[in-house]
Amino acid sequence: MLSDHKLALFLAQKSIIKGNKGTLGLTIFIMSLVFVNSVFVSSLFLGLTNTINDQIINTVYGTVVIEPKKDEKFIDDVYSLKQKISRVPGVKGVSAQYIMGSVMSYKDKNGAWSVYSINPDDEVTVTTTHNFIIDGEYLSKLDENDILLGKEIAGGYGGDDESRSLGGVKTGDSIDVLFNNGVKRTYRVKGIFGVNFQRSDNIAYISQKEMTSVTGMEDKASQILIRTEDVGNEGQFIKQFLELGINEKIKPWQDYASMVKEITQSFDIISMLISGIGLFVAGVTIFIIIYMNTISKRRQIGISRAVGIKESVIINSYFIQALFIVMSGIIVGLLIVFYIVAPWFIAHPLDFPMGPVSLLILPENVFINAISLVIAASAAGLIPSMMAVRETIIESMWGD
Amino acid sequence: MINIAKEDHIANEYPDGTGKQALLRIRNLCRTYIMGEVRVPALQNVSFDIGREDPEFVAIMGKSGSGKSTLLHQLGLLDTPTSGEIIIGGENVLKMSEAQKARFRLERFGYVFQEYALLPELTALENVYLPAMALGRKKKECFKAAREVLGQVGLGERLDHRPREMSGGEQQRVAIARALINKPDILFADEPAANLDSVSSKQVLELFRKLNREMGLTILMVTHEPEDRNYVDRVIWLKDGELEQHMEMLK
Repeated sequence: MLSDHKLALFLAQKSIIKGNKGTLGLTIFIMSLVFVNSVFVSSLFLGLTNTINDQIINTVYGTVVIEPKKDEKFIDDVYSLKQKISRVPGVKGVSAQYIMGSVMSYKDKNGAWSVYSINPDDEVTVTTTHNFIIDGEYLSKLDENDILLGKEIAGGYGGDDESRSLGGVKTGDSIDVLFNNGVKRTYRVKGIFGVNFQRSDNIAYISQKEMTSVTGMEDKASQILIRTEDVGNEGQFIKQFLELGINEKIKPWQDYASMVKEITQSFDIISMLISGIGLFVAGVTIFIIIYMNTISKRRQIGISRAVGIKESVIINSYFIQALFIVMSGIIVGLLIVFYIVAPWFIAHPLDFPMGPVSLLILPENVFINAISLVIAASAAGLIPSMMAVRETIIESMWGD
Repeated sequence: MINIAKEDHIANEYPDGTGKQALLRIRNLCRTYIMGEVRVPALQNVSFDIGREDPEFVAIMGKSGSGKSTLLHQLGLLDTPTSGEIIIGGENVLKMSEAQKARFRLERFGYVFQEYALLPELTALENVYLPAMALGRKKKECFKAAREVLGQVGLGERLDHRPREMSGGEQQRVAIARALINKPDILFADEPAANLDSVSSKQVLELFRKLNREMGLTILMVTHEPEDRNYVDRVIWLKDGELEQHMEMLK
């Protein structure tokens, strides 16, 4: 049995070494392109969903969110609740937000947006919005008449829907804000941020102190955002928070990412379709190459069988050739992915409405793509070699 | 050696009843090709024995289309007869599976074809040691045996040459060396000298005779050259797929 494998390997090796180098190189290149294509598409989609998830965590919700109890509008005793949560090991930051609807006006433009009140010192421990100030400054704890606008509200900063914006508000400009409770204020725009995530860039921030003066309520919040050290173990933290006696609704960030789930499912289907087409192309290519090979070496196959070489050895020799081509294609593909495509996309991420998107190349994803290609191409290589030995020896050696 | 033919028997049956078992026994061998709705009988009820006494060097002769090569293909297990029996060393080889036949060919037979039938990608040495490798022998052993046998056919200096770098005569000697590597019982040769010049042709036939005489190798050779009879022990004549006569040559 081992000698049969050795013999098949020997025949395959000779065929590869003495065969047409141009054809071999081109076939390997096609395999590498198929591999790069499938890894690229799936990694791009993974990158997209990863970016959305990151944006949801970094600019909207943190990793765990506490909401008011059922049938209540606000969370009470926010200060003591924050203290309690902060003491849990692994909690990096806690930020309470009070959210109120408003209509903002600037010159002849106006629109409805939500205003979030924050303690900036707390907020920076949970979200990263402060890192994306594109004009002016971030809020400070004591600001009273200042407002921080997302670029989709301000307009003029390359937002996705400029027509809905205030049409070009700059730092230092004054805007009128009519809160849902009927209170009207004029704020100086302290800064404008742009995290490149539409959901976040449609928010305006004011300080807690200012919101207290608008609502007349203290120590209340619409939600409390929590940032844990790691992403992925939210369940354990929620369990600990419940054990602390927190009776409010506690949700992981994933509960707010239903859109991502739908997108991910759609991306998975698209990725599978594209990869499937790629695998089909790879299979057909290998089939044609091996088929042409068996046709051109029909007589040699007959000779080999005549002198007593087993059919299985001949089939295996072509199988090994197909395997060699596809494995070489994968190796070349890996070099292209890791030394050309990935570095380029890291340096030049794609600009999407959900933020800058780069490739997320996961080892398991690369492995699955590689295995799929190996299976498809090997199976495609087996068929013509099996067809070749189905002929009689006489037909192989002397047939038309 | 006297090269005058002695007509021994003009029948379908080679004399039997000596009690000695023939190396190769063929009984009522038929091969009919079916081409669409037409049945073409290529061999009809051919029976004879080979190798009853000493190892024989037998020529199969006849006109073009007489069924010479077809007969050789049946005997060499390269094709399957429509009916009849082929007994080799007491074993009915037609009852074997294809895999068993392949193993049998590898262990017991050697082949030399008119067109040399070497694998162009392999060197002379590789072409020769391939069947030995297929038999599961160790690589070193295969190399040694291949070198030896190539030396025996006078190609000890051409080991690393590929077929296209060799003359027809040299290629045919490589094919002979390949046929000999596993020390077969029977060598089948299908017009081995047909593509060779007269000098190379003579070398090949003398080599066959030497192998038959000195190594005890039974050889069945299809030929259409009348002068090839000078080298063989016996001639089996075919006509229209039927055994016409045995002609035993005087040694």
